[in-house]
Amino acid sequence: MSTVTAGVRLSTIAARVRDRATATPDVIALREKDLGLWQQVSWSQYWQTAELVGHALLALGMEAGDRVAIHSENRREWLYTDVGAVAVRAVTVGLYPTNPVAEVAYLLRHSGTRVLIAEDQEQVDKALAVADELPDLEHIVYLEPRGIRHRYDDPRLLAWPDFLALGKEHLEVHPDAVDERMRQVRPDDVATLVYTSGTTGPPKGVMLTVANVDFAIQELVERGGFTAPPPSSKDSVLSYLPLCHVAERVFSCWFGAGAGVCVHFAESIETVAPNLHEVQPTILFGVPRIWEKIAAGVQIRIASAGPLKRRVGGYWLRRADWIGDTLAANGGRHTASSRLVHAIGYVVCYRALLDRIGLRKVRYAASGAAPIAPEVLRFFMGLGLPMHEVYGMTENTAVATANRPGRVKVGTVGERHEGVELRIDETTGEILTRHPGTFAGYWQDPEATERMIDPDGWLHTGDVGEWVDGTHLRITDRMKDLIITAGGKNIAPSEIENALKASPYVKEAVVIGDRRKYLSALIGIEPDTVGHWAQLHRLPYSTYRDLSSKAEVVALVQGVVDEVNERFATVEQVKTFRLLPKLLEHEDGELTATQKVKRSAVTNAFADLVESMYRGGVR
Amino acid sequence: MSSTRLGRPQLYLSYAQDMALLNTPAKRWWTLVLALVAVLLPFMLEDDLLAVLATAFVAAIGAIGLNLVTGYAGQVSLGHAFFLGLGAYTAATLSGDPDSTRLIGFGITSFPIWLLASGLVAGLAGLIVAPLAARLRGLYLAVVTLGLVFIGEHLFKHWGDLTGGVGVGRPAAVPELFGIQFAVDGEFFTKAQKLYLLMFVLLVIFGVLARNLVRSRIGRALAAVRDRDLAAEVIGVDVTRYKMIAFAVSSFYAGVAGALLYVMIGFVEPGSFNLALSVQYIAMILVGGVATISGSVLGALFITLLPRVTRELPAVLPFISSSSTSGGITVFQVETILYGLLIIGFLIFEPRGLFGIWIRIRTYWKSWPFSH
Repeated sequence: MSTVTAGVRLSTIAARVRDRATATPDVIALREKDLGLWQQVSWSQYWQTAELVGHALLALGMEAGDRVAIHSENRREWLYTDVGAVAVRAVTVGLYPTNPVAEVAYLLRHSGTRVLIAEDQEQVDKALAVADELPDLEHIVYLEPRGIRHRYDDPRLLAWPDFLALGKEHLEVHPDAVDERMRQVRPDDVATLVYTSGTTGPPKGVMLTVANVDFAIQELVERGGFTAPPPSSKDSVLSYLPLCHVAERVFSCWFGAGAGVCVHFAESIETVAPNLHEVQPTILFGVPRIWEKIAAGVQIRIASAGPLKRRVGGYWLRRADWIGDTLAANGGRHTASSRLVHAIGYVVCYRALLDRIGLRKVRYAASGAAPIAPEVLRFFMGLGLPMHEVYGMTENTAVATANRPGRVKVGTVGERHEGVELRIDETTGEILTRHPGTFAGYWQDPEATERMIDPDGWLHTGDVGEWVDGTHLRITDRMKDLIITAGGKNIAPSEIENALKASPYVKEAVVIGDRRKYLSALIGIEPDTVGHWAQLHRLPYSTYRDLSSKAEVVALVQGVVDEVNERFATVEQVKTFRLLPKLLEHEDGELTATQKVKRSAVTNAFADLVESMYRGGVR
Repeated sequence: MSSTRLGRPQLYLSYAQDMALLNTPAKRWWTLVLALVAVLLPFMLEDDLLAVLATAFVAAIGAIGLNLVTGYAGQVSLGHAFFLGLGAYTAATLSGDPDSTRLIGFGITSFPIWLLASGLVAGLAGLIVAPLAARLRGLYLAVVTLGLVFIGEHLFKHWGDLTGGVGVGRPAAVPELFGIQFAVDGEFFTKAQKLYLLMFVLLVIFGVLARNLVRSRIGRALAAVRDRDLAAEVIGVDVTRYKMIAFAVSSFYAGVAGALLYVMIGFVEPGSFNLALSVQYIAMILVGGVATISGSVLGALFITLLPRVTRELPAVLPFISSSSTSGGITVFQVETILYGLLIIGFLIFEPRGLFGIWIRIRTYWKSWPFSH
């Protein structure tokens, strides 16, 4: 930020946490479930521990700009380390817990990590397996001692309590050392390296500076770029998406440090549903996959309930569709009749339903990080959830556009934030953004940086978009994903894919058709719902592969495809499809760490399936 | 902190919240409403119905006792009538007229004293019986406890100084506290109203005590013994000790219930402590719900109120007669048949009893609009 110079007070997340610890020491900052209870951490405890981490890093000889990697599920120590590292001007690097050994090796080597915080034996093993190739890696701090203590004798290993004890010793000898470092902070200090998941090629490390983060917090949190009114200490969030992703970092770390929002850590991604029920957060961010799953769960559970519940629930779900349509047509605001219908439905059905799925207290729900089908948004809006699609990317610190409460346009990603310049390139249709949150560059990759930021400071997002009514931005697709058929027609596959994925039976859909005569699709079924469907229809099956090869299942998906095709022009219709014989996995390289499909990897892995769809003359 | 918890009943911040008896606002409100209704009832109902309800409350205390040993600890006991009898005679003797030439009496009419004493006497007897249970289980234990009933019956019939003898009996205990006589009509309250309120308060006290016991370490140990005594022993539960605790506490409750049971009628007849009485209590816990405190109360209310309903039968069904002298089927026989049918029916169709039905209804609405 040009107006802020070193010496002038610049609020890093560490400074913000410290200020909260002084202002509201006893207010609860974090909660994590342990032995069946939600253990509470107040702001003063939060800062004390984070400060100890800072001292410990100093004790280990970390200099400004050195990298600390965190390889863990979301938990308190993740935030302690993030805040502590920023306090001593070190750089945090987040690793996905699902990262396989090869990627861990690449990320640690590429970032030149000196200290690694590893959650448990599994993650320690990954690092130790490639430790010889990592000359920079000096210390591995482990959080869970089980299986490590008394069994591993690698000299680099250090238990978390010992790590904190180091910090305590350092604190006693140099009580002002962390404060000293915090005063030296400069706006262009790199605060964190966020490795983009890389649907193509190896991951690239996005350098977000202290100034970038500060801008994002001001724009998204303090000015209420998402929520209205802005978040406060009365709000709570559930942290369950990987913290190494910029979106979750915004909603748990920065919402917490910036506005005092209480962060609850989910036990794991599998327990999100029960944890939501317990925590009943007021602000919830989800990726489309999560929202699709919740929506499918609601439909399936009502369909499989008893006769009365099925009838009443089914009726009110249909009413919710109507309310959703009305809201969507009206910018997210109620009309008199939709408000009345919703009020009755709330008493009879929606209140209980939202409570069961843990969304009753949600005052702001957002979807982002990938395009979502409008049907899914409308579904939740109809239930009474204030649902907003937002847009941003790691390279602009997640600051670009958002649907504002009361001014929602379903199918768009909303209006630009206040301090954001945004335009659409006249020739390519690419979306360009410019603001102080634009990243400092890719770590050790100036060439790629040059391709992203032009000399005028515009960030090339790689997304193609258009204006709707001059205010809202609609995203067509990723530029590199656009399909040009053999007939020369430009088609945005994600729209068709999302329409397919809106069905509860479809988990993944990859539309293919670049330089082909017609469109086809590889479809992965959702094992839970299709399995349930198979049970209802007395269709025995053993494995996922067996299930997806059943003629009845193919017919079921054909029905979904036909329904979707009706909504599209002839050239955009999926003429044929094949079901994927396996679930796509991050570890098999078919998904990115954020569960996005790697198109090239999937089409390569299932090349024979793809070819079989174009062999012979299907229409 | 309370604002955080508001509307988030599942967000447990301490084990105390997790273990709380009334852990949700709904439970708190309903308990309050129920208690209010129970307190207001005496001013709305007729005295004869109040007397039946008061008897039902006392029976509930006895049923809770039986449920502790049979439902929670899994030790089948047919000997409950014996312990009820011990309690009844301890209380009657302690509060009896000391000048009587026919009967033993000590003239201690303060009811907390004789109530506690009858509980303790019965509890002591239970403790003596308990070692048998440590060596026996299932049918064998049932037969041994059945033996207790016969010993008791014999004792009560022939110890005339204590019980007054068959067909004669003796006056029941006199409930008095701080000079207030509960068993006579007063200036503001009738006898039935006073006894109803007294029994209600006692039921709440003993119910909460039992509920606290079964959610504690002892309760968990009892459940472990019930589910498999061998396995319980392996995980470190002292089976003999906990069986003794179960019998002692259960008998204490039976003693208390026995002491109060005849206060309503005012007279104890030694012939009443027979197998049929034991079976009635077993019916209470089976119909109400095995291993639940609220189930015991429901079952006791149900079984005690049943005669009130069957007494109305002759008016509707003319072939049932209300007296035993005129031939045909009598209401008393109908009652006995109903007990049998109810036990069979509940065991087959609703093994969790009335409480199970309640749980099912509650779950149905709690899981709305899903099925689980």
